[in-house]
Amino acid sequence: MAYTLKGRLESRLAVVLAPLLAACLLAALIREWWPVELALLMLAVGLALDATVYHRAFSYQAGWLALPLGLVELAAVMGLARLLDVAAPLDAALAFYAGSWLLAQALLHAAFPLVRLSYGEDGGELGRAGSASAGVVVTLVASLGGLAWATLPPTVHLAAGVHQGPLVLDSEQILVGAQGAVVRGGIVVTADGVTVRDVTVVGGEHGIHVDGAEDVLLEDVTVRGSELDGINVRRSSVTIRDCVVDVSGRYTQGIDVSFGFDLAPSVVEGCIVTGGQEGIVTHFAHAVVRENQVSGTSMRAITLTEMSMATVEDNEVEDVLGVGIFCGDYSMCEIEGNSVVGTRADVASEDLTRMGYGILAHYGASATLVDNTLRDNRHATGSFLDARISSE
Amino acid sequence: MTEPCAIVGGGLAGFVAYATLRHGGLEPSEIAVFGTDPDPAAVWRRRAASIRQRRMRSESDGHCLPTSFPGLAVRSALRRRSVVPLLESVCDRYHPTVEEFLDHVAELRERSGWDESFEAACVERALPVEEGFELDGRGPFAHVLLAPGHPGLALPPELEHDDRAVHAYEPHDYADEVEVVGAGMAAATEWLNALAAGSTVISVRRREPQRRPLNLSRELFTRRGLAAFHRTGAEERAGLLRGWSAPSYPPGRAWDEPVERAAREGRFRVSSELDGAPQVICATGFKRGFRHDRLLAALVEEHDLDTQAGWIVLAPDCTVPALTNDDRTLALAGAPAQWAFPAADTLAGAKYAARRFLARVRAWRTR
Repeated sequence: MAYTLKGRLESRLAVVLAPLLAACLLAALIREWWPVELALLMLAVGLALDATVYHRAFSYQAGWLALPLGLVELAAVMGLARLLDVAAPLDAALAFYAGSWLLAQALLHAAFPLVRLSYGEDGGELGRAGSASAGVVVTLVASLGGLAWATLPPTVHLAAGVHQGPLVLDSEQILVGAQGAVVRGGIVVTADGVTVRDVTVVGGEHGIHVDGAEDVLLEDVTVRGSELDGINVRRSSVTIRDCVVDVSGRYTQGIDVSFGFDLAPSVVEGCIVTGGQEGIVTHFAHAVVRENQVSGTSMRAITLTEMSMATVEDNEVEDVLGVGIFCGDYSMCEIEGNSVVGTRADVASEDLTRMGYGILAHYGASATLVDNTLRDNRHATGSFLDARISSE
Repeated sequence: MTEPCAIVGGGLAGFVAYATLRHGGLEPSEIAVFGTDPDPAAVWRRRAASIRQRRMRSESDGHCLPTSFPGLAVRSALRRRSVVPLLESVCDRYHPTVEEFLDHVAELRERSGWDESFEAACVERALPVEEGFELDGRGPFAHVLLAPGHPGLALPPELEHDDRAVHAYEPHDYADEVEVVGAGMAAATEWLNALAAGSTVISVRRREPQRRPLNLSRELFTRRGLAAFHRTGAEERAGLLRGWSAPSYPPGRAWDEPVERAAREGRFRVSSELDGAPQVICATGFKRGFRHDRLLAALVEEHDLDTQAGWIVLAPDCTVPALTNDDRTLALAGAPAQWAFPAADTLAGAKYAARRFLARVRAWRTR
């Protein structure tokens, strides 16, 4: 087919109509936005390529080109979905794309030429039906945008200056601090879908305590001087990104994510954690701990224990006492690309498991090590009580 | 009483128009077809047999059905229980055999009710009247499509009375030495035929043939290429049409290898002049221009229609502007419609004219 530009765009809008409606239906059924986000990404990628690449590159488009172009669009859609944090499960996203693509081929090569005799001669233009379907798609997209905007959680702006806490966030919202916004006495999150961004928290029993909440995002937060944990997460699923946690008490922990094994994995990434007994800790949790810097801890820098399943990658651990990365109590740990430097033995503790191990597996745990840099530690690795360390 | 439609011409272009009108909801009793042979493929069959054509040049859409889908590739896939025709089709490599095409025409002829509408008559005059057009006293018909076909076979003037000469589209065998005049698809087919028959072949041509899958760029089959074509002025358009009539045949080893092998054996050569061979096959196509067709020539003369270099000037929808209004249509299909659609002499071109003719009939019926 030798498409006109108008024909390409009209055909694209017409074939996306059914998948878009299906996505809306699916989104309503599962109460998730990803099907709609995926369908809109497919539409956006398709229209952009139609207008900027395909029209110029293909004065005539043979039928077989649908396959490679479909794969190019799939790669673009999946890449953008990842970039924009579209929470689509991979298999479901691929199935949705494949179904939409097959439907599009059936419409373009069979249904449209059947319904509109001159479809081919008109270069893919659909006449009034094309305008109507374009109108429906635009209306639908606008409606979805309106709905998304209307259902967005409210954004609460925290002004610069000191605010006396604890702040309790018990409904979905986005809390954004202005430069210099400080909460004294801690923040407590108990609702799903809460985002806390650009806030400094000083003091409190826990700097930020997340309890029984899912889909929580803590981003660019700074926590200092808490009595126990800098960030304490219980029975929750969180993403903690680009934080700074500085704790100093003898029994304090920088970040503790615990008891969320049956929930979506939590992610701790890009944080700088300093001081305390342990830096980043998981108990009975699914977690990804990556690209953090942990230093100055008095017992362990990164601890994954009590049957946690964790990926620990690309972290930097330096100048800690006892253990750099600890995988304990029947946990399963993938430890890759980390740097653990200068772990000192805690001789005073008289605990043999704290004698300066870069990476330690303990009590039935299983740790898989790949490409880690272990330097100037008293012991590079060690295992105790039926724990296993394997290297790839 | 005014009858809705008439098709003048019982060849493939008229047949495509008939099938399209039937698909559009017209009954056989509402369509009159005037032609010389009730078999719509009769003329084409004779020509294809003469040049021993085995496969169609056109691809999957080269059929007479009113809708592009399902075409012959789908039917072939179902019949053979194989996806190969479909895969060939998406790669633009599916070329139905002549036998498959003729079977399809016969089946569609039977199914469409063509014979109910057909009347053996050679119409020589289309007379505009208030309600439409009278065709040699029949009618009036509100909408008339003229699909008279090619006006005759073209022979080089110097060979018109030469006993050695035979046109490629006339039945013939092959002498020991054959000169083939022309360089298009028919000529290339004749090279292979004559070589296969054991002849020595001299290709007589004044210019080198172009190698392309179809006789025109694919863009010119859709609005993408047609929009610019329709914006051209009369002289420019005539120049384009003349340029596009240059001889061509498809690329591919099936065409090249036999010729190259014969050339190595001294059985094939190219010459710019005739060289006295005992047989001269003229693969020189058809006469061009409305003046060679009695009906079209009379129409132009009686109504002073706009013409340019042998073409009747048409609207983009293949209608004759001076004789078409909201209540009546006079349209052309087949080779005479090239002014609106450069590939009008192909099946795709026949469909282009037919679909626009149907659109006018529908609009008239719903007013």
